[in-house]
Amino acid sequence: MRFRLPQRINLVSTILWGLRIVVTVLVLAGSWATLSSGKLAPGDWRDLIVFGIAQGSVYALIALGYTLVYGVLFMINFAHGDVFMTGAMTAFFVARNFGESGFLNSNPIVALLIIFAVSMLTSMLVAIVLERIAYRPLRRAPRLVPLITAIGASLFISNSIRGIYGEQSQSYPTVNALQGRLDLFGIPILKTQALVIVSAIVLMIALVYFVERTRTGRAMRAVSEDKDVAALMGINVDRIIVTTFAIGGLLAGAAGILYALVFNEVDWFMGFLPGIKAFTAAVLGGIGNIAGAMLGGLTLGVLESVGPFLLLGGANVPSPNQLRDVIAFTVLVLVLIFRPNGILGRSEPGR
Amino acid sequence: MAELISGRQLRRLATIGAVAAVVVLYLCTVGLVEAFKDRNVVTGVITLGAVMLLAVPLIAGYRAALPSRDPSAQTGAAQRVVLGLLVGLIAGAVLGVFVLIASTVDLRGVLVRISPPLLEFISFGLPSGLALLVITGLGGLMGALGAALLVSPARIRNAVTSALIAVLFMSMIEPLLRPRLEQLDYTAISDFLYKAHGLTEVASILCFVVGAGAALLWQPGNDFVRRTVEAAPFQTRRRIRGWAIALLVVAVLILPQVSGTFLAQVAVLVGLYLLLALGLNIVVGYAGLLDLGYVAFFAVGAYLTALLTSPDSSLGIGLPFFVALPIVMLGAGMTGLLIGAPVLRLRGDYLAIVTLGFGEIARVLFESDALRPWLGGVQGILGIPSPLPVRIDLELGATHIFATGPQVLYYPIFAFCALAALFAYRLSNSRIGRAWNAMREDESVAEATGVSTVNYKLLAFALGATTGCLSGALFAVQLGSVFPGSFDVFVSITVLAVIILGGMGSIPGVILGAIVLIGLPELLREFVEYRILVYGAVLVAMMLLRPEGLIPNRGRQRELHQAESEEEVETLDGDLVPQRSPS
Repeated sequence: MRFRLPQRINLVSTILWGLRIVVTVLVLAGSWATLSSGKLAPGDWRDLIVFGIAQGSVYALIALGYTLVYGVLFMINFAHGDVFMTGAMTAFFVARNFGESGFLNSNPIVALLIIFAVSMLTSMLVAIVLERIAYRPLRRAPRLVPLITAIGASLFISNSIRGIYGEQSQSYPTVNALQGRLDLFGIPILKTQALVIVSAIVLMIALVYFVERTRTGRAMRAVSEDKDVAALMGINVDRIIVTTFAIGGLLAGAAGILYALVFNEVDWFMGFLPGIKAFTAAVLGGIGNIAGAMLGGLTLGVLESVGPFLLLGGANVPSPNQLRDVIAFTVLVLVLIFRPNGILGRSEPGR
Repeated sequence: MAELISGRQLRRLATIGAVAAVVVLYLCTVGLVEAFKDRNVVTGVITLGAVMLLAVPLIAGYRAALPSRDPSAQTGAAQRVVLGLLVGLIAGAVLGVFVLIASTVDLRGVLVRISPPLLEFISFGLPSGLALLVITGLGGLMGALGAALLVSPARIRNAVTSALIAVLFMSMIEPLLRPRLEQLDYTAISDFLYKAHGLTEVASILCFVVGAGAALLWQPGNDFVRRTVEAAPFQTRRRIRGWAIALLVVAVLILPQVSGTFLAQVAVLVGLYLLLALGLNIVVGYAGLLDLGYVAFFAVGAYLTALLTSPDSSLGIGLPFFVALPIVMLGAGMTGLLIGAPVLRLRGDYLAIVTLGFGEIARVLFESDALRPWLGGVQGILGIPSPLPVRIDLELGATHIFATGPQVLYYPIFAFCALAALFAYRLSNSRIGRAWNAMREDESVAEATGVSTVNYKLLAFALGATTGCLSGALFAVQLGSVFPGSFDVFVSITVLAVIILGGMGSIPGVILGAIVLIGLPELLREFVEYRILVYGAVLVAMMLLRPEGLIPNRGRQRELHQAESEEEVETLDGDLVPQRSPS
């Protein structure tokens, strides 16, 4: 991004510059105050960062769904957060059953794998149905039309789940094997967080392999370059788009279980905030870019976990953690305003 | 007859049947049937829950009987009824089997709505085997009826449809009509019409006959009034229009007097949302900027009003409402500019998400402990005085006007709505409105022809914010207090749904949308929990079936159907022009 002084002072650029200055000053002053006050020990910061990475891995997995769909359809699948929620909510009943029967603790690996599978398949199914009913008829519609549809679909899915599974939040059973800490290169890390980070990495590697090395992955990249030409080359564009949604759904379903492992609680509204935050992550990294989504997810997770304490802790703001969502949204707003192509995104003329 | 049903028809049949079965199961599991199973339509005969369940095979049967596009597969009337019957049988059988399973295995651990009372309701309390037969048969019957409706002559079809709508409508307005009738001492009429919150048998037959009769008498193409008006000279038509508007205004003015407090309360709510929708319509409908954080302006209006007028607020100055109002409007306008300025350069879908982010930031800030000393945190701000008299008691000649509570608040809200509608209407036909049109249809071309898109976008944001804050101010006055919980994202979504249903950029559409989406749910108390569900469905359905809304704005309609009329259009990168295949 090039910085240059505007030739003529006008309202918009004045406000934008004001915003830049205010944000910079706030960030610097807040961090200075916190660091000089020495309220948090180095160990606390490390824990916050590890937690941020775990949370960021979940965001990254959801963000991949946004980015994949954006890559082929150039639309924001606003309902993706609810695809994520559906998997976690459905798999909860399996997990509860395993927890009650003792299977979860006698055979944790198999049980967790089954829970993962249920969640991933449910989310995949929802994503496929969503594409078929809500988005496919609108391929050629003006750009805002599919977005409004997606918002509607998001409300419809979340409120259907609320009606079907009930309104109250459910807590996942604890897995004894995942209690306690693990010592990783001298850094103590919660076992659940380690599991979250490792599974996210495995899934991301699998995704990159799929997109870069398989025939379908190549077709996906071709469709994302140019649908019409891809169709001329004998690629079944509809099938590739469904596949994209299915993969996004699978990853979202896995993210749902990881989220449940970290936070324990699931409810029908849990898709909304992670959905928007994952979108933020996707934009932060450069939407349409797979590596960008991962990077963006991790960055956002850490910013969100460290940010409130770093920026507000020193200023004696009561309960800074309440404002973590504000930090996430501010990041979203700032990135979209000042660097809409994201960290890794290439600039697309006319967009 | 070579074969009774061709392979293609069989596939279509199976699809429609499967969809109908899924819908029926969905209605049961999501809890809609349970919520409405005690709401009588005709007391002792049928409830709203049953109407919902029966409507599905009816519509499926109707659809199955629609003439197929394949001319070689032309079918006779009887055969089409059979198609409807089969589709209905599929839906009924699936529901029947589901009930059979649910009554043997307890599904409530997962599907919380499948309660024994619900199962008893669906199976009529019959033993399970018999229930399966009855449910399947009923499904088939409804499917066949739906198909029969399609094959029957248009006159009969219209008559039956309008008769059914009449019955449903009369039973739906029971919570409005009955208390008012009793209040006015027409107990005899109300007892004749209603029993246990539903229509009586006699009244329903009467409604059915009246509905059918009206449809039979009113022939399409024989519209005497419209033809006369259209044939009249220009001046007469203008005069007629003037009178019609005057009549409408009078009707709206005396409405709370005639209808009583309940409807006035509903009207106040509709008015608040209408004001919001008129404001958002400027931003979304005219300027084409999808703002999902519109609730921020509503909140700013309410909080500014609370801060300025409430003696209990942190400012504690307790200004009179009408002194505070210009300051509130100015403040909200500034907020609009501040939020608008940074996001102007963003593309449509990014703009939507950023504004959503702004809306959430506003809510979290209002809720936070950090700003509690000023904004009151979760407890909000209390003690907002109302500038309106508690009651109006007037003797005007022979008429006695008496109004309390919402009946009083109704008038300023109505006045603001009327002003906002007039303002928006004049604006849409002005130079500014045309600039917005140009900008919405194609930003680059608009810019090239000398429209300063930045200024016009800012103007749209500021005007939308000002209108929204008026609604917020009135909302604060109505409640006498503000809480951050009232300003969640669902307000933005509701307002968006109102605009989308009515038609973006169309003022009559927005009014209709507000009445349908805000007013109707108030009549169905059981419905509250499913409001957002239905709004979501409305958004999807409208975008798929009729993106221009129920009462479309002409320019908007053309834009949205451009893609269909010209398959291969050369387009520039605007947000409302058909999307070019990505390159």
